[in-house]
Amino acid sequence: MNCQLEGNRVKAFGKAVHALARIGDALWLDPMDKGLALRAVNSAHSGYACFLFSPMFFQHYSLESASEQGAGTIKCKLVMKSVLPLFRCLASIERNVERCQISISTPDDRVKIQFFCRHGITKTHNLHFQESEALQAVFSSHLCPNVMRAPARLLGDLVMHFPVSQEEITLSTSPLKVSLRNYCEEGRDHTRVTNTETSSHPDEFDRFQIGVNSDITFCLKELRGLLSFAESLCLPVSVHFAAAGKPVCFSVEDMALEATVVLATLMDPESGGASQAAEIPRRADAAAPPAGSREARGGVPQGAPAAMELIPSSQGSPGVAPPAPMHEADAPICSLLFRALSSEQDEGCNTAPPVLACNSEEEDDETGSPSH
Amino acid sequence: MPLSAQSQADDDQYVLKASMDNARNLSNILKAIAFKDHSIFTATPNGLRVTVEDSKCLQANAFIQAEIFQEFTIKEDLVAFQINLTVLLDCLNIFGGSSVPGVLTALRMCYRGYGYPLTLFLEEGGVVTVCKINTQEPEEPIDFDFCSTNVTNKVILLSESLKEAFSELDLTSEVLQITMSPNQPHFRLSTFGNSGNAHYDYPKDSDMMEVFQCTETQTNRYKMSLLKPSTKALALSCKVSVRMDGRGFLSLQYLVRNDEGQICFVEFYCCPDEEVEEE
Repeated sequence: MNCQLEGNRVKAFGKAVHALARIGDALWLDPMDKGLALRAVNSAHSGYACFLFSPMFFQHYSLESASEQGAGTIKCKLVMKSVLPLFRCLASIERNVERCQISISTPDDRVKIQFFCRHGITKTHNLHFQESEALQAVFSSHLCPNVMRAPARLLGDLVMHFPVSQEEITLSTSPLKVSLRNYCEEGRDHTRVTNTETSSHPDEFDRFQIGVNSDITFCLKELRGLLSFAESLCLPVSVHFAAAGKPVCFSVEDMALEATVVLATLMDPESGGASQAAEIPRRADAAAPPAGSREARGGVPQGAPAAMELIPSSQGSPGVAPPAPMHEADAPICSLLFRALSSEQDEGCNTAPPVLACNSEEEDDETGSPSH
Repeated sequence: MPLSAQSQADDDQYVLKASMDNARNLSNILKAIAFKDHSIFTATPNGLRVTVEDSKCLQANAFIQAEIFQEFTIKEDLVAFQINLTVLLDCLNIFGGSSVPGVLTALRMCYRGYGYPLTLFLEEGGVVTVCKINTQEPEEPIDFDFCSTNVTNKVILLSESLKEAFSELDLTSEVLQITMSPNQPHFRLSTFGNSGNAHYDYPKDSDMMEVFQCTETQTNRYKMSLLKPSTKALALSCKVSVRMDGRGFLSLQYLVRNDEGQICFVEFYCCPDEEVEEE
């Protein structure tokens, strides 16, 4: 894969990397015919983001690799810590970078990111990558009873009042009102924290369709990157959601790109679904647990987070991250079910646990390269 | 002015007296080389040289010419002592070091000679502070034997083009590799870190390149830990000259303009990392 971006596009690309860095520690680079997808998922597998840049976004976009035929569609997994610094200072990128070239070279397992700057200066970064299968969350936004579309600044204005440390917020919607308030975990004293609530009238939204009144709680930190991205490009943000427990999807698109962030929402403790009282685990400190914890929750009912099914890379790299964030004793918070879209694998993934997020018609099946 | 109101008798005892209306003109430049506590002060009628060394492989020098001082009196050809640079900087910034426009800290440095402390009189807004800092036996600064006749490659770059590169350097790389060549890449900084390698290329015809005199292709690696401190000097400077000699020794010279527009120099000498052969 070989692509070139010019001027302002480099800054937008950098903003996408910033937004993805808020979600996960690894960055998946997936060159496809329909464009270059950048994806990330958090360790709890409860947050996923995908930024898809269509060929139109680039000055030049080609899946052919100079060195190897057929190696153009290789999928790479990069360490976020090695990519983010390259785009850290967006102001400086805006000032100095005229052109950016990204290419994937298989013989030495490197992604080459080259910045052509003012005064003839060139910066070349050759980053190691791991070959990996595609990472993709399936989410059927067309099945969501609730849809809102807000101008770029509106959501940003609603969330800016929450402290940066605020982990989770609750979005309450009814046909008459939209409000956001900070989420306070069970067991914590509401009176000892600053409680913030911001609200907005449906008239302020470009599109507002609430089929089911709902209160959904999700991680704000993971969303901020997308909101900042949308504001910088002045693009409206669409929100697709349903009742508590179902994932919420925030998306932004224009002719040249599509960005999506899918976040799990907390299950409503009073709702019928999960039989156990939900002792909601803190997602923030969810480190990838030992693989054994998955088995421990085997008996848990609906909403069991089967989580990210990453097909391990045939190269033998440890591509699979054990799913689930939670402490074994806790009822599962509603998580997302991800399915790797490698077509041969689909059948294998259709196992028992109910699917919270179904096959999305928006996501094409991978028809790309056969797995190596 | 309190500082000048010292008795004539006292004054005669000092082998070195130096005054500055704006202590920042000294403290700023010393901060650029303050990566170690230990420093050697060498004063001659030409001015003051402050040297800081690291593991016998790196030497940084700050030169403040006599003309920069409002008063610079030296009774001997050479006056030298060792002093703790961190303590000295703390004293120079004793009034807080924040830059309120129009408020200057005046400085008078006095030294009686071998065995005596360095006395600093600092005044700001009518308040005077006297500091006496112990001095030690001066060690001889290392002579890197770097002379212009042995220089094989030299470039002078505008600092602004290097500042970004230095602040972005991959610190997980143990070395900073510098390539200078009459052919492409003409001037290249490279790092080899955990996530991969990076190269910063400056072509000879760049408008940031003031002087380009490279006669042969040379690639040398220098310990990152030794060169990273030079970033401070780079940040203060407007131009930097990079020279390599036949042995691969590196000389970095920074041209620093102070608040009053006067010029001072900071230079760094560095030995190449021994493990790598010169190409």
